[in-house]
Amino acid sequence: MPLIEIRNLTKRFRKGDEVITPVLELDLDIEPGEFVALMGKSGTGKSTLLNLVAGIDRPDTGSIMVAGTDLTRLSRGQLADWRAAHLGYVFQTHNLVPVLTAYENVELPLLLLPMTSRERRNRVDFALQVVGLSDRAQHFPRQLSGGQEQRVGIARAIVAHPTVVVADEPTGNLDEETSRQIQTLLQELNRQLGMTMIMVTHDAEVASIASRQLHMEHGRVATPPPTLTATV
Amino acid sequence: MFRFAPYVCKTLWRHRLRSLLTISGSAVAIFVMGFIHSVQQGLDRMVQGEDAQRRLIVFQENRFCPTSSRLPEDYARRIAQVPGVTDVLPIQVWTNNCRASLDVVVVHGVPATRLPEHRKLRLEQGQWDNFTQRSDAAVVGRQFAQRRRVRLGDQLTFGSMSVHVAGIFASDSAAEEDLIYCHLLFLQLAAGQSAAGLVTQLEVKVDEQTDPDTAAKQIDEQLRTGLVPTATRRKGAFQTATISDLVDLIAYSYWLSLACVGLVLSLVATTTVMSVQDRVQEHAVLQTLGVRPGRLMRLILAESTLLCLAGGAAGVGLAWLVLQWGQFSVGAEGVAITLRPSAELATAGLLVSLGLGLMAGFLPAYQASRTPLVAALRQS
Ligand SMILES: Nc1ncnc2c1ncn2[C@@H]1O[C@H](COP(=O)(O)OP(=O)(O)O)[C@@H](O)[C@H]1O
Ligand SMILES: [Mg+2]
Repeated sequence: MPLIEIRNLTKRFRKGDEVITPVLELDLDIEPGEFVALMGKSGTGKSTLLNLVAGIDRPDTGSIMVAGTDLTRLSRGQLADWRAAHLGYVFQTHNLVPVLTAYENVELPLLLLPMTSRERRNRVDFALQVVGLSDRAQHFPRQLSGGQEQRVGIARAIVAHPTVVVADEPTGNLDEETSRQIQTLLQELNRQLGMTMIMVTHDAEVASIASRQLHMEHGRVATPPPTLTATV
Repeated sequence: MFRFAPYVCKTLWRHRLRSLLTISGSAVAIFVMGFIHSVQQGLDRMVQGEDAQRRLIVFQENRFCPTSSRLPEDYARRIAQVPGVTDVLPIQVWTNNCRASLDVVVVHGVPATRLPEHRKLRLEQGQWDNFTQRSDAAVVGRQFAQRRRVRLGDQLTFGSMSVHVAGIFASDSAAEEDLIYCHLLFLQLAAGQSAAGLVTQLEVKVDEQTDPDTAAKQIDEQLRTGLVPTATRRKGAFQTATISDLVDLIAYSYWLSLACVGLVLSLVATTTVMSVQDRVQEHAVLQTLGVRPGRLMRLILAESTLLCLAGGAAGVGLAWLVLQWGQFSVGAEGVAITLRPSAELATAGLLVSLGLGLMAGFLPAYQASRTPLVAALRQS
């Protein structure tokens, strides 16, 4: 049984008279433990789809079932609770809280869950260890490099053991070397910890670390033929 | 809720200059409010109370300053004949300043042996005998003593007279503690030859069954045939009438304290709006992590309330220190309102700042919690 079942999903934006429909009657299933790369040209609706699955945006029609919960039926508050318990979100850039240390940033999502402080400490230590930043726990974001910041962001996304981790162009702002380190890290999280991941990228090389590549066009997703992935 | 306290504090600390400026602005405004409120409280204390309501003051008609009211001392005998009157105390009043002032000196000359039965005074230093036996002796209220650094045995000089401090007293009434009592005859003589046999006012006690206002009318009626026409009022009413200009001013100062409220409100609201606008994206990230909109609101309200409470606490503390240390009394025409710090004042100040903090933060907090997440995250 799929972990994520998306049915007949449509999302429209209205700008004055103009209506944009980045997601149109879309169907998609994602199995547990899959690593899906969402590719496509700029403006094709990749981020929009990701945000709908992440429960931070609402569709016009259709349903999004994640592990048996229909996100479209939840209230704002319930969606927040759902995100705290089930979602890890890796942002493109600079989304750590500047007044908090790396440790405190990673701890943030755990403050929303019922947990003893001891358990919180164990989980944060583990997450920082996974991303290889145990020695930077007490550093503030401005004291970290771009790649380190992103790794703290990833630690924050996995610390609560989420059902699904989503990432929107996680390497978009990094140089090639750092980008590759992050790719390796994401791949390890998927393979070794079995985390289900959806990653948006327009870079075919980055997408190649995923177990399944999807191409987005005209509001739908399709599995591209192998030749296409190779040339994009 | 308190799990996020470090986040709130660190956010305020990050912009410490901004926080500090807001806190000090609020502190000044709350300080001014506290001061105004203490004047109002002082006035209330003076006008309410058993003595102010039950005792009568006989004064020369159409006169206000104690130096201009001159009643024959033997009016006391004629007043005593009015039904219901149980006692009459002649008082000669001297003041350094008939106009409004922040440092009033008021001296009451009374028959020395009768003072203890008319005023509930507790001698903290000195002895009653030393006061009654020495004609130039005086007992000094402790608030006045503290303000002017007067000590037992000192020689106090006002205008052309000089008194010996034979005691320092405390009283339940703050206004009393700002007075000096000396012998009636001494003050009459000091006022000059022409003042012999004359007093400024007569204070009348009536029994429980008698309505003070009826007795007041009868006293004026009784004395109409005398040389000097009189106006008799309840003590509280007499005092308010005497400083009526000041009472009006105090009523106006209410608006000033409202202005202070507005000032704190706009100051803290501005700071909170700025801080929220700076962090649209941060708040969107927090919500993406699972912070509920309601909790986000509470976090922002906590910020504005902490700022306001810190300002309020500083303002209240400052007002307390200044009032305690300064022992001010504002008055005119021989009637003084004493300013005192009080727990009620402090509580009111803190409650007002708590309320203002919540009000100031409400709009920015509500806005932040309503901002669509995706749009906020895109702002980079
Ligand atoms: N909040 C919004 N309001 C209006 N239009 C939007 C909004 N978000 C996205 N769009 C539009 O929807 C389309 C898809 O956007 P997006 O999902 O960000 O594309 P991608 O991530 O694939 O580059 C774009 O044309 C974009 O302008
Ligand atoms: Mg995008």
